[in-house]
Amino acid sequence: MLQFVQQLVNGLSIGSIYALMAVGYSLVYSIMNFSNFAHGSVIMLGAYFGFFAMRLLGLPFAVAVLVAAAGTALVAVVLERLAYKPLRDRKAPFLYFIITAMGASIFIDNFVIATIGPTPKMYPDVFGQGPIILGDIAIGRVDLAMFAISAVCLAALIVFIDHTRLGKAIQATAYNMKASALMGINPSFVIILVFAIGGALAGIAGVLYGMKYQVFPQIGAITLKSFIAAVFGGLGSLPGALLGALLLGLIETFVSGYLSTQYRDLIAFIILIAMLVVRPSGIMGKSSEDKA
Amino acid sequence: MRLRTFGIALLVASIALAGSLALVGCAGSGSSGNTVKIGWFGPLTGDSALWGQAEFNTFKMMADDYNAAGGIDVGGKKYKIEAIGYDDKGDSTEAVNVAKRLITQDKVSAIVGPQGSGEAIPIVPIANENKIPVVATTATNPKVTVADDGSVNPYMYRACFTDPYQGKVAAFYAFQKLGKKSAAILMTIDDPYSAGLSQYFKEAFEKLGGKVVEEVSFTSGEKDFRAPLTKIKAAKPDIIFMPNYYNDVALSARQARDLGIDQVLLGGDGWPSENLIELAGNALEGGYFINHLDFDGAAAKPFRDEYKTKYQKNAELNSYMVHDALVMVIDAIKRAKSIKGEDIKKALDTCDLQAATGANGDTMTNPITGHIKIGPNHDPVGKTAWLTKIIGPDMKFQESFAAEE
Repeated sequence: MLQFVQQLVNGLSIGSIYALMAVGYSLVYSIMNFSNFAHGSVIMLGAYFGFFAMRLLGLPFAVAVLVAAAGTALVAVVLERLAYKPLRDRKAPFLYFIITAMGASIFIDNFVIATIGPTPKMYPDVFGQGPIILGDIAIGRVDLAMFAISAVCLAALIVFIDHTRLGKAIQATAYNMKASALMGINPSFVIILVFAIGGALAGIAGVLYGMKYQVFPQIGAITLKSFIAAVFGGLGSLPGALLGALLLGLIETFVSGYLSTQYRDLIAFIILIAMLVVRPSGIMGKSSEDKA
Repeated sequence: MRLRTFGIALLVASIALAGSLALVGCAGSGSSGNTVKIGWFGPLTGDSALWGQAEFNTFKMMADDYNAAGGIDVGGKKYKIEAIGYDDKGDSTEAVNVAKRLITQDKVSAIVGPQGSGEAIPIVPIANENKIPVVATTATNPKVTVADDGSVNPYMYRACFTDPYQGKVAAFYAFQKLGKKSAAILMTIDDPYSAGLSQYFKEAFEKLGGKVVEEVSFTSGEKDFRAPLTKIKAAKPDIIFMPNYYNDVALSARQARDLGIDQVLLGGDGWPSENLIELAGNALEGGYFINHLDFDGAAAKPFRDEYKTKYQKNAELNSYMVHDALVMVIDAIKRAKSIKGEDIKKALDTCDLQAATGANGDTMTNPITGHIKIGPNHDPVGKTAWLTKIIGPDMKFQESFAAEE
């Protein structure tokens, strides 16, 4: 029983990271209808921005998170302008977007390896050392902080999307870009906004991931998991991405904890495929409507 | 437009960089008169470049030292050493290529290196066919010297102890010296070094009367060890064996402490690294690992100082291992009174070198990492294993063992 509760805590802590990453994927997908595979590399840059802000500039943690979020928001927007906008202007097929995204991702990863180097780096311990012990259950300080920060970010995002004019503009564009443009919503502006928000969330996710584990150039690889989470929950649906991410984190942890680590990815991917066969739009996806 | 110029500049820069790296490969010291060519290969680029560069630096430094002392005595004549080294990029295919190049083009008499079992195993047939002895440095897998069918690879040797030996020493230390009766193992399932060492530890620990209460694993590249560690926590072992590489050790140790696991951690020669403590913080405090030598010992001092003066860097474990491999080869050449591969091989079969003390320049003729006596399997038998404890930011040598095979 104790082991069960401990694994539950472990699963939620992994799931909350997946969630922050999956939400960024879903947001971009809802507007652009393609999977932005460069998202992982932006997350990785966020981890480095936060690391250098703390280690080199000596900034406190809260400021470092904001610096990282601002930095990655900028990177994401620049990426959109340089890599995706020319494709959009030429009305290129979606496949081109995906290939461009992969290319951008490989470029960023290798740029970091070439300039900063492949050696992993460690964030300073800002939350103090040692776990918080409740009975026999141990909760890592970083995990707790991560869970809280993820929850705040996601709640803020949902409020923003549902209760502000800009949020409504995003929803309208997601629903029908042409019609909303006719209603006076500038699609180009909405796309920039979505990339900026997705980028900022990626930066925060990167810092949290870096604190929980390490900072290294291959962090982006983990976003494959958050992509699965996004598909699992329903691509384009924010609550779906959240639910999918938490469920994936829990499933993975329980498979490794009660079966074996070797089966973890096997089972995660089987669930993904089964989901796509039985319910292609995911848990919360409602085919084409209500995507944002 | 400006971005494109930047892109082109970057491309040109990266091509130039790649070109310059490819050239690092060869560094000989051509000389007239009698010379004996000795080859080395290992990773000068890639993930393990740090260890490879440490080996190559040592190899060149020692060749210079021998030559400065007039060369080595081969049947009454003085021979200068020509040291030839190539980059294998830590890749098994590249290892085969450079080993062939050393043997067929450069016509070396013997090879020291490689450092990894993954690079040493594929070159076995090349060494055997061409009758050129190879002394591997840190390749600890049994298959480097003994083939699958149990026959000894005639031209393969090593300067380090093997994984079965290391597992035995770890089990012995945990059970007898630390008095731990139950152990849990966290291993890298897809890495032969880690999986092998786990197996050898388990066999030896259970033979002594201990019990392995939990065996859990992860795959290479994993960053989250909490699920398997929670299983270990529930099993309440006396000690946790982690036969993994330093980065995985650092991360998993941190996460173990985060889960409230406070048992002593124990590991093998994958642990020693300049970065281990930095990455692990104080999570490894009080942990033990098996090393190939005592870095701070008297035997290592003259060599360590010379290396530091010459390269402005600390000598790595691999520096000492390639030192000993080269000492074995030089000793064999002297005793064989020949620079023919076959003769050197025969002399290596009877290699029996006492450990250096560090005094009177005996590190030129004796191994630093302990007594090396080549056994019937071409491994050093009864080689000293150095138990090291992590205390604060330091790795403190505790005691040395020479268990029987």
